Amino acid sequence: MFSNRLLNLTWKSLALGAMLSAAAVSPALAAKPKVGYIYVGPKTDFGYNYAMDQGRLVVEKKLGVKTVFFENIPENAEVERVMERLINQGFTLIFATSYGYLDPALNVAKKYPKVTFMHGGGFKLAPNLGTFFADIDEVEYLAGIAAGAASKTGKLGYIAAHPIPQTLRNINAWTLGAQSVNPKITTTVVWTGSWSDPTKEAEAANTLIDGGADVLSMHVDGPITVAQTAEKRGVMVTGYHADASKFAPKGWLVGAAWNWGELMTKIVSSVEKGTWKSEHLRGKLSDNYVKLTGFGPKVPASAKTAIAAKEKAFKGGADLWVGPITAQDGSVVLKAGETLPMAKIESMNFLVKGVVATIK
Amino acid sequence: MELGVFIAGVLLSGLRSATPLLYVLLGETLTERTGVVNLGVEGQMLLGAFAGFAATVVTGNPWTGLAVGALAGMLLSVVHGALCLGLKANYFASGVAVWMLGGGLSAYFGISMVGQRIDGFAPIPFGALAKIPVIGPAIDQITPTVFLALALCALTGFFLYRTRLGLYWRAVGESAEAASTMGIRPLWIKWQGVLAGGLLSGLGGAALSVDYTRNWIEWMTAGRGLIAVGLVIVARWNPLLALPAALLFGTTEALTLRMQTLGVNVSPYLLGTLPYLVCLAVLIYGYRRARSRGGMPRDLAAVFAKTE
Repeated sequence: MFSNRLLNLTWKSLALGAMLSAAAVSPALAAKPKVGYIYVGPKTDFGYNYAMDQGRLVVEKKLGVKTVFFENIPENAEVERVMERLINQGFTLIFATSYGYLDPALNVAKKYPKVTFMHGGGFKLAPNLGTFFADIDEVEYLAGIAAGAASKTGKLGYIAAHPIPQTLRNINAWTLGAQSVNPKITTTVVWTGSWSDPTKEAEAANTLIDGGADVLSMHVDGPITVAQTAEKRGVMVTGYHADASKFAPKGWLVGAAWNWGELMTKIVSSVEKGTWKSEHLRGKLSDNYVKLTGFGPKVPASAKTAIAAKEKAFKGGADLWVGPITAQDGSVVLKAGETLPMAKIESMNFLVKGVVATIK
Repeated sequence: MELGVFIAGVLLSGLRSATPLLYVLLGETLTERTGVVNLGVEGQMLLGAFAGFAATVVTGNPWTGLAVGALAGMLLSVVHGALCLGLKANYFASGVAVWMLGGGLSAYFGISMVGQRIDGFAPIPFGALAKIPVIGPAIDQITPTVFLALALCALTGFFLYRTRLGLYWRAVGESAEAASTMGIRPLWIKWQGVLAGGLLSGLGGAALSVDYTRNWIEWMTAGRGLIAVGLVIVARWNPLLALPAALLFGTTEALTLRMQTLGVNVSPYLLGTLPYLVCLAVLIYGYRRARSRGGMPRDLAAVFAKTE
């Protein structure tokens, strides 16, 4: 099945190769990079992979370069084979989008120094391998404002896979956003113990709703199950990764989404111009690498105003992790005016006051 | 009152999440009563979940989805039957093959179904029942697949213990040799058991994707098929005990999630193991009391003792 797809690709690239050699007289066209994308899951998951593929589509549209993608590629030697095939077919820039692709990408990068590799979220470099990622916590804060303003019960629910710094960061940011409009807000967290276990996600959502939560959010691979369950039970939901409003047309408030198109366009054109360099590219709201999705019908107008004001402040350089911030147990994390250093943010190991959850 | 709400909530959410499992548990019980073990139910559940979801996307009718899912599960049973009954392959090897086949096929063909939206079943209008305090809101969430599973529980019990064919099935499971001297064709009965098991496993998978989660994603059953195989032992090969066994697992799982929402200061990792520990404890208790095969069909004991 897989080889079929590759075969198909081979034919296409042969045809393309013929076209390219015919047009070889034009150096501008010949210099256009051919970009390969590799995803760990299906590109239609309305989650991480979907967001990456949306970025690919933007690159194609904006720069008119040739792209190709492979989905459902496991994080093992298989991905090295996919990379080598891409390279053999003349692809010159490869986006290895999943975290577990880092070491395979480093292996292949060593063998093919003329090919450029970009890895999603890693912390290793090679002369021809750089990494890219973005911080989404500011957008979670903005979505939290919508959740806090729309909630009638003052109880929010959050479904997350594992208690790790990335999830704690999102839960805290979301809760702080909600508390900025309603200080009495509490967020109850249920850990499912898995990035993708729809049964548990549905059960966790039901449990939170039974407990009185009327706005849910999630940090698992795909937002669909939680959005569907919230809609079925008549409560509201804010999303993660991508716009999943179609699964909850009534209850969808807003979502925190990646905006890879912007960043990827920058990367691809730097390769095209020859200005690319090996580095850790990181961005946030002010770089427009992450964004809010469109609003659903239940977001109060006052919340939209508050969100717009805060978004402007963040883009202007305002800090999210600024004191006073109190931890779950009442201990002081940050005194008024203090800020959290980047290393502490990236290794976050506390929950803010108002969050109900156990993390150890 | 608070406690009442809590218990009612846990029981009902346990039932809600145990429903897909109950179908698979009933199916595997039937299969094993004829003396065949099928570890492939995990794959059959997955294929049923995918096929049911796809059929619901295409037709817009969740009932069609359930039916197609059940048929898909049964189709995989043909593979298991052909391997272990036709070619006399080892039950466990054949089961694992079916498991992987179902998982792989559903993941491959299911790519186009990821991210599709379905509406599932419309809520059942309970009217006045839904207004009863405490249990009303929970009753309101019961969907048709819950009723269907409960009905099937009674139905398979009646079939096994009150019909002639059911007697044949049990006879074959106890001793195929003795059954054949009575003029029963054991091979044909075993085929029936395998097919019925696949039908119910596929139905359970479809109930999971079409009704409970309204979502399809590869390998979404996350081991629940294998849990059903284990629960057959807890239920002591009795379809009537399948309900309490499934509920035991479902409510413990619901309870662990609920304990998290109450801020109980126990590690979520530790809480996650609770459903398995409880089932294990019941199993050990049951064995100690029975001091025997625990209701295991005699021929099945032979399968476990010596795997040819």
